[in-house]
Amino acid sequence: MKDFFSKLIIFIILLPLIPLMLWPFIASWRWPQLIPLFGEARGFKHFFSAGSNSVNILLFSVFLSIVVTIITLAIALPAAKAIAFYSFRGKNMIKTIILLPVIVPMVAVSMGIHVSFIYLGLANNCIGVILIHLIPGLPYAVRILLNSFLLIGDDIATQGKNLGANSLQVLWHITLPLIMPGVIAASTMVYIISFSQYFITFLIGGGRVVTFSMLMFPLIERGERVLASTYSVVFLASILLVVIVGDKAMKGFFSDSNFLV
Amino acid sequence: MKKLVMILLSLLLLTACNLKTVEEDHLPIEGGSVSFAERLEDAKGTQVRFYGWGGSDSINGWLDTTVSNELKENYKVELIRIPMNPDQYLAKLMTEKSMGSEGTIDVVWINGENFYNAKTKGLLYGPFVEMIPNFTSYVKPTKDVTYDFGFPVEGYSAPYGRAQLVFIGDTAKTPEFPRNHIELLEFAKANKGKITYPEVTDFTGSAFVRNIIYDVVGHEIFIGMEADKEIVREAIMPAIEFLKEIKPYLWREGKTYPANIGQLVNMFADGEVLMTMSYTPLHAASKIAQGIYPETAQTFLFDYGTIANTHFLAIPFNAPNKNGAMALINSLMSPEMQASKLNPAVWGDQPVVHYDLLSEEQRKLFDNIEIGVGVLSSEVLSAHSLPEMRSNLVPLIEEIWREELLGE
Repeated sequence: MKDFFSKLIIFIILLPLIPLMLWPFIASWRWPQLIPLFGEARGFKHFFSAGSNSVNILLFSVFLSIVVTIITLAIALPAAKAIAFYSFRGKNMIKTIILLPVIVPMVAVSMGIHVSFIYLGLANNCIGVILIHLIPGLPYAVRILLNSFLLIGDDIATQGKNLGANSLQVLWHITLPLIMPGVIAASTMVYIISFSQYFITFLIGGGRVVTFSMLMFPLIERGERVLASTYSVVFLASILLVVIVGDKAMKGFFSDSNFLV
Repeated sequence: MKKLVMILLSLLLLTACNLKTVEEDHLPIEGGSVSFAERLEDAKGTQVRFYGWGGSDSINGWLDTTVSNELKENYKVELIRIPMNPDQYLAKLMTEKSMGSEGTIDVVWINGENFYNAKTKGLLYGPFVEMIPNFTSYVKPTKDVTYDFGFPVEGYSAPYGRAQLVFIGDTAKTPEFPRNHIELLEFAKANKGKITYPEVTDFTGSAFVRNIIYDVVGHEIFIGMEADKEIVREAIMPAIEFLKEIKPYLWREGKTYPANIGQLVNMFADGEVLMTMSYTPLHAASKIAQGIYPETAQTFLFDYGTIANTHFLAIPFNAPNKNGAMALINSLMSPEMQASKLNPAVWGDQPVVHYDLLSEEQRKLFDNIEIGVGVLSSEVLSAHSLPEMRSNLVPLIEEIWREELLGE
């Protein structure tokens, strides 16, 4: 019974994706036809045409979001660990501040950030875009990793230290393998958030940094179904691919020290 | 270890950014004494960034291939097209203006309200249009290129193409089409729930409402009308009353309207409504060729006429590559590009170059274009073209429509 319900839920979630998968290949689907008239898949033709540069922009976006994910994790890991295990003054305040980007709308803040970035020479280039992409993902990464740290506690790390491991060895051989599920969840989240950003990329990148969602947005806005669904399918497929490959790679990387799981 | 990670990270960051670094911008040659040939010489080997609406794969494809190749071959300039709507690039230019900072945009695709705002706020470079050879040789300085929505252009933008509102129906379903607003009401009564128009926030929806206003009260009264909401309200009230009268017979009883023209186009393609509209007069031919509209789709107009306007190209005040920008504008205004743009398989946009000023060979480019089925000839179109009203009246009409029809 439980199995049936979970299958039903998956079906309901996937149902709206079926027309999305069909539309790239449809020429027209007029009432009262039940079966659509299939066409030449001009969306994919446009996507792969050398002029549209879509493939390069897609690869660049994937790369940009991976860089953003790595930097976000590099910030979130120590932050989450500090909040989980150390007690210090203003800890609760810092916890709240980290969550702020989720509460305050990005659009409101990014206008001000844009002005500051122009002063600092960070507007209209990719370093600025990477920096602004760190903001929306960071609260999620810290939250997820914080829970992972709280779940495993620091007993095992202390034990390792008592047995003579230095802090780097503890990090590499104990902490990271233990919180790997959390890291994978966090990086997936951060990657998807960064990959879907539209407005802030536009504002800070000023059109010099073009990401995949920037190509997609005008097509969806216009209601151009064949192209919009083609680009959406590519968008989803690329996310799935990166997430699956990333997951496998991270698991594989720590499999030799996977002594506890 | 930490060092290594840091080095790796910074390397990643650098490579990520290197992919997109742009070569040093060329300094533009300012001043009037510079010949166009010198400007083109200076523009060689540069990149030019063209910002504009990017929601059509055929227009995008045309710019990315035909125009891009032409620019590369004849001007040695690389075209980079950035899909960005006017409200977004204007906001960006405003910020840059207030900070006095260097820009990134070389050419924008603009008209109407946006051009009015950009020009009055000093966001545009110019006047430059007299420097463009293809403008001076092939364009007749008629009112539709010297004025943009009733606002004088004064050389701050160069004409790119012409648009005219047309309606499209399906002769297989309704052999007769309405020829004025009264017949439109009867048409809607006879086909309850099968007619609608986009909301006024949409460019085409707004044009449709203005067209109904023209049909009801005429277009002359708006010449020189003060941009005062109450004056405008009084003038357009008969048309607003008409739109209220037709409302219950519209799709979903007029309680809601399609959010944009794309949605209406899809609804017409699916057979959900009986008519759609477009600012591109050859729209039906393109859609029939793509198999999206039935072959019986037919373009029609109101007897009184429909609104026509021109869309333009302009250069921002802080464009980093103004000479490259002029190379692009010159190229887009060439008879070759204007003819290739007219092809409905490409775009179907009406040319701005004047047939009388073209050479025999150039005329052939236009004569050879197959305008396709389901569309009207350019003679019929121009005989029924009405001028746009001034751009500062447009937002007022949109506001009044929202208040009266949506009750906001």
